[in-house]
Amino acid sequence: MRKLSIGVAVLATALAAPAFAQSSTSTKSFTVQGNVPAMCAGGTIVGGNGTFDLGVLADTTTGQLRTDLSAPDKVISGSFCSSRSTITIAATPMAAQNFTATPPSGFARSVNYVASASGWTTTPASFDTGAAANTAATQIRATAFTGDITVGIAGFATSGGSTLRLVADTNYSGLVTVTLTAAP
Amino acid sequence: MKRIGQILLLALAALPAPALAQSATATGTVGVGGQVAPVCILGTPNPAVINLGTLANTSGARVGRIVTFSEQNVTLPSSFCNFAGSQLTVQATALLSTDDTTPPAGFARAVNYTASASGWAASNATVTTTALADGTAATATGTGSVQPLPKLADLLVTLSDFTVTGDAILVAGNYSGTIVVTLGPAAIP
Repeated sequence: MRKLSIGVAVLATALAAPAFAQSSTSTKSFTVQGNVPAMCAGGTIVGGNGTFDLGVLADTTTGQLRTDLSAPDKVISGSFCSSRSTITIAATPMAAQNFTATPPSGFARSVNYVASASGWTTTPASFDTGAAANTAATQIRATAFTGDITVGIAGFATSGGSTLRLVADTNYSGLVTVTLTAAP
Repeated sequence: MKRIGQILLLALAALPAPALAQSATATGTVGVGGQVAPVCILGTPNPAVINLGTLANTSGARVGRIVTFSEQNVTLPSSFCNFAGSQLTVQATALLSTDDTTPPAGFARAVNYTASASGWAASNATVTTTALADGTAATATGTGSVQPLPKLADLLVTLSDFTVTGDAILVAGNYSGTIVVTLGPAAIP
């Protein structure tokens, strides 16, 4: 009886053997991770020339601001933001750099204009140097973006009124600043 | 004293007993059998997480684009198979941004790399992911050659050549990929 029972036990073990194959594979995993911070890069001005050159500002017959002033747009290329972003434009009036005193009555020493940056947002960011508030100066883009930004200036107006005449100066200048900011 | 004498007598009587047993011996054989199941066991990956940190350059000529990373190594110590004819497989998934929105033109949300598991057979299990910029087709699998003997070894998984399709700018976010190592019987050809 004892021998018989041992034989049955061996047989039972042998029958279970096919199940071993299922457990012969081992799997382990690990992860690799990293992050990309929200960031913006400003790019460069195409052609490298960062000056809007308007030439002579005053009409030589009237002494008042010319009405046909214009300058080619500037293109900033290579800009990007890796997340949603804001574009902000700011500008300072073109002011006489040598004649810094208060001009006499009937004269002005600065010229206002509207600077705009387009290509980044549906509505261009724009800034009027003569306006008390510039609500359109900052525009939001909801997605990451890379592309050219076109900066232009227009809408020139003598500070203080169009009847004023501009004081003579070899250098009237202002500054346009475009800022890209990654938004959280 | 009388009691002691009786005990000694009993002891003497007991001594001849083994000789009596020999005359009634019967011999039998009992087999002892067993099984060793075919098993492969991979060691626990060390480290369990590779943190590359910041994936994109934050300044310089390559601002926004993938950083050049050195090789990253993970060991699976004391891995073994107790049978002949085993094979190592590596399945790798590219690092993908957790934000699965399709990135705008010029951007990517996937970082590809090469994963190679060595130390098992003549040829390594190697795979290079080829995820597209939008993160599709992120998973790929590579299998090494067959190990013809039972083997115990420390396996080494090396991650290298981290690249982005088209060298695009990476969108901001957290990125994660997974490497699955499998050791088991060689696939039947």
